[in-house]
Amino acid sequence: MAIIERPAPTASILLRAPVTPSQSMGIVRRPVTSTGWKSWVFTVDHKKIGIMYGVFAMFFFIVGGVEALLIRLQLATPDGKILSADLYNQMFTMHATTMIFLFAMPMAAAFANYFLPLQLGARDVAFPRLNALGLWLLVSGGLILNASWFLGGAADGGWFMYSPNSGPVFSPSNGVDFWTLGVQIAGFGSLIGSINLIVTILNMRAPGMTLMKMPVFCWMILVVQFLLVFSLPVITVALVLLTFQRSFGATFFDVAQGADPLLWQHLFWIFGHPEVYVLILPAFGIISEVLPTFSRKPLFGYPFVVFSGASIGLVGFGVWSHHMFATGLGPISVAAFSIATMAIAIPTGVKIFNWTLTMWGGKIWYSTAMKFAIGLIVLFTIGGLSGVTHAVAPSDTQQTDTYYIVAHFHYVLFGGMVFGLFSGFYYWWPKVFGKMLNEKLGGWNFWLMVIGMNMTFGPMHILGLQGQPRRMYVWTEARAGEGLFNFGFWNRVSSLGSLILAIGVLLFLINVVHTTRKGKPAPLDPWDARTLEWITTSPPKEHNFDRIPVVHHLDDFFHRKYQEDATTGAMVQIATGEQLVRDEEANADAHIHLPSPSYWPIAIAIGVGTLGMGVVYGVPIMIVGVLIILGSSFGFVLEPSVADDIDYDPPMSGGQETKELAPLG
Amino acid sequence: MRLRRFGLGLAASSAMFLVGCARNAPQDTWQPKGDNAQKINKLDWMVFPLAGIVGVLVFGLIAYILFRFRDKGQALPTQSHGNPAVEIALTIVPALILSVVGVFTFKGIFELAQTNDTEMVINVTGQQWWWEYDYPAQVVNGVEITQPIITSGQLVIPTGTNVLLRETSRDVIHSYWIPALNGKKDAVPGRINLLRIQADKPGIFAGQCTEFCGLSHANMRMEAVALGPEDFAAWIANQQRNAEAPAQATLAQEGEAVFLNQCIRCHQVNGLKKADGTAAIAAPDENVYSGAAPNLTHLMSRNTFAGATFDLLTSSCRKNVWTASPEEFGSAYLKGVTTDCLNQTDLRRWLRNAPAMKPMYADPIKLARSDGKYRGMPNLGLSESDIDKLVAYLSTLK
Repeated sequence: MAIIERPAPTASILLRAPVTPSQSMGIVRRPVTSTGWKSWVFTVDHKKIGIMYGVFAMFFFIVGGVEALLIRLQLATPDGKILSADLYNQMFTMHATTMIFLFAMPMAAAFANYFLPLQLGARDVAFPRLNALGLWLLVSGGLILNASWFLGGAADGGWFMYSPNSGPVFSPSNGVDFWTLGVQIAGFGSLIGSINLIVTILNMRAPGMTLMKMPVFCWMILVVQFLLVFSLPVITVALVLLTFQRSFGATFFDVAQGADPLLWQHLFWIFGHPEVYVLILPAFGIISEVLPTFSRKPLFGYPFVVFSGASIGLVGFGVWSHHMFATGLGPISVAAFSIATMAIAIPTGVKIFNWTLTMWGGKIWYSTAMKFAIGLIVLFTIGGLSGVTHAVAPSDTQQTDTYYIVAHFHYVLFGGMVFGLFSGFYYWWPKVFGKMLNEKLGGWNFWLMVIGMNMTFGPMHILGLQGQPRRMYVWTEARAGEGLFNFGFWNRVSSLGSLILAIGVLLFLINVVHTTRKGKPAPLDPWDARTLEWITTSPPKEHNFDRIPVVHHLDDFFHRKYQEDATTGAMVQIATGEQLVRDEEANADAHIHLPSPSYWPIAIAIGVGTLGMGVVYGVPIMIVGVLIILGSSFGFVLEPSVADDIDYDPPMSGGQETKELAPLG
Repeated sequence: MRLRRFGLGLAASSAMFLVGCARNAPQDTWQPKGDNAQKINKLDWMVFPLAGIVGVLVFGLIAYILFRFRDKGQALPTQSHGNPAVEIALTIVPALILSVVGVFTFKGIFELAQTNDTEMVINVTGQQWWWEYDYPAQVVNGVEITQPIITSGQLVIPTGTNVLLRETSRDVIHSYWIPALNGKKDAVPGRINLLRIQADKPGIFAGQCTEFCGLSHANMRMEAVALGPEDFAAWIANQQRNAEAPAQATLAQEGEAVFLNQCIRCHQVNGLKKADGTAAIAAPDENVYSGAAPNLTHLMSRNTFAGATFDLLTSSCRKNVWTASPEEFGSAYLKGVTTDCLNQTDLRRWLRNAPAMKPMYADPIKLARSDGKYRGMPNLGLSESDIDKLVAYLSTLK
């Protein structure tokens, strides 16, 4: 639907009868239906795209979780027999790859896509079709990555894919080829998305929303997009080199031809370390929204949180070699990266303190979202403190590649990132779906995840410090130590914990199903929230806001509801969220312009996927892929941003008066 | 209630950590047995308690806040936006703590990188999935190594001596790690990385390859053996001998023939002669991708085989070596693998079908990318009688 006729006081415009395309541009008619599967596949609506990112990511969270459970099952006993060595190596490679590229990044993209325009007071992102292209490239990459399971075995070189072990001699199956192509294509999607979101944040904020009045979530997403823009090209280059080595006989990483295997490691970690912050900062952003809302007071030290986030991003580019302390860099490099790594603990600490002090003096409401946010603070701090022990480079040479590291980054990424994302699920579910997730089930969900997570990853600290290396498909009694608390005990605790963790996650899925079927309709402002996404209906209308809000404060929505009493200084409610939403509806903008759906984003993504498969299966398939890309790129470029009136059936009445641009913030 | 829960959790988890460690875990990083590992452990003892204290303070504060500021129906709090003085203090304090940690870290890094006090050099080469040790001719503590020694699996060093390992790899990246003696250092193909180790007392120290190196990464282990001066001299003297031909008309002599027919394609035994009296020279470069296979001249002087993955000693004999006191360790180790201590079961299984015991690239279909060369040892299809003969022969390689 291209143009929304105004005024329309209710949401009835969304219920317009399905329209079918007639003809457009002589060749292809525009997909303008507003219901059915086509309205999802060809959509350019940031909210629908966000939901699809979320569904995709949740699916792969389950896939990656099953992979993790298989790994824990294998390691529950010495000399495990569940998985062969080959399959185990594929399993841990794909567990990490799936969780990072197909769950964590897409889930962050889901939140960013859905809430960025809403928090900024915008009607969509800057480049809606590019937004769709990013999603479909990710889907294409994800399919290629996982197709390998059925086409001769998945990649077996670890997600870090160190050369020369990733070379054709040492990994002769096609798994690594699928991996490089899949990650590459998903990476294109992220890169496109990041440029889109940067432009959106810089150009499309509501009137009055200066950067320092922007919600912290948007700030963290902005930092992440810059990290992606600068780090993804590095891995892109590395992956191109690896693809050329494996598929076209190049020798970039062939030691016999004079290559230095450390080249790959530098390229990989110059991407890989900023990537860690790409994963965690969106979660930081989410809880920076949740903590103030449920503490009922603003974030403590907003500018410090913003700038510490930015400096984490900046310093994050200068610490990559701390993944390489054992590779023989020489003492000067090691010392420099050791200090840089300690330095990054400072802004991270600032964030922890600010979240903690946000709660100080507050009126804390222990909703499930808040519980997950507090869980993040505690668990991430544990991960951060063990991180400081790796910054001491000599100590790190005893810790790296042991389970101590596995423990560390799962506290950071599961305890940090995943808890942050779950906090976001509970906080924003009513906004997206109009129904409240069950808080009671949420409580079980939270506590089972806390217990499961600590049981799974806590013992790994002990295992690692006592010398159990990672990435081993079996561990042996001979190295397990004596006494009750030997490796066998802790490995069993960890495996048991992983089951509890799985049940915790399962409860979330049950909660989703339960809510969809029987959930209570959500009030318009269930949490007494603070930011602009709550100044519209739940779920929001296609055009987000009936009237583009004008911003005067940080936490503008809160300040529209509450005012300081001039005499007592106490905060007094002057309006409810409900009243504010109704007020916006009553004063809706006359003309709202939105871009129309398009075939071309998904068509290009299919072409790119075909080209990728062609790299493995031969030139003819590559040619088909290139032709699809070329054809659909022309379609993409030539297509007007708004569907012609004749695309509709019956044709729209047209008329210049409806074709004005939405006000840009 | 919440406060108590947090307090309990904290106490329980720290108590668990303290009592929860396995006794005598062979790769424990907190039980240094030499100078270098000791230096690292001192840094551990600085940074771990520091991190612990910070953790306890932060969690204590959080627990207090969660209890104190819970929703008791109080009025909406003042909408305060922060306190720059507190912010700056909370930035400077961690920075100061970390600077102190940083100073000691610097010192540790440069001390551990030092190489000018080296008293002995050993070349350590990793390949899929075992370690080779090559001792260049040199004089160590007055003991002369006249012929270079090539061995594998167990690294033997003299006690109280600064040993410099020069590490490299013949295929992918591996990492050499004996936690009791030092942190790990990667063995990178095309590079030589240096790692210093030193052991205070005689003993045996476990290690494991810690850079993922492909299919059998989990089965790439190593052990370091430290011997007192006299025992070390005895070990050197034995290693420099060639293997003796087995006595006439014994099973071992028939085994030598099997060896010359099969094993010599990859495995060298110094002093072994072909039937025509010429020296038998192994050609692993023609058969194995890394171009090397373990030298078996003194197989029975080491306690393990196949990348230190399997024991050549029966479990009771192995226990005698691993639990020997430092005074008795040397003689226990130098006994080697006597006939009654030989772990026949595993050795025979290995000879029967090696890739079934340790996953390796021995399937001809998978060797196309490596020009038909094996990565690891293939199944040789030996008959049971050949295996009897070979075991008899291998037992003579003391």
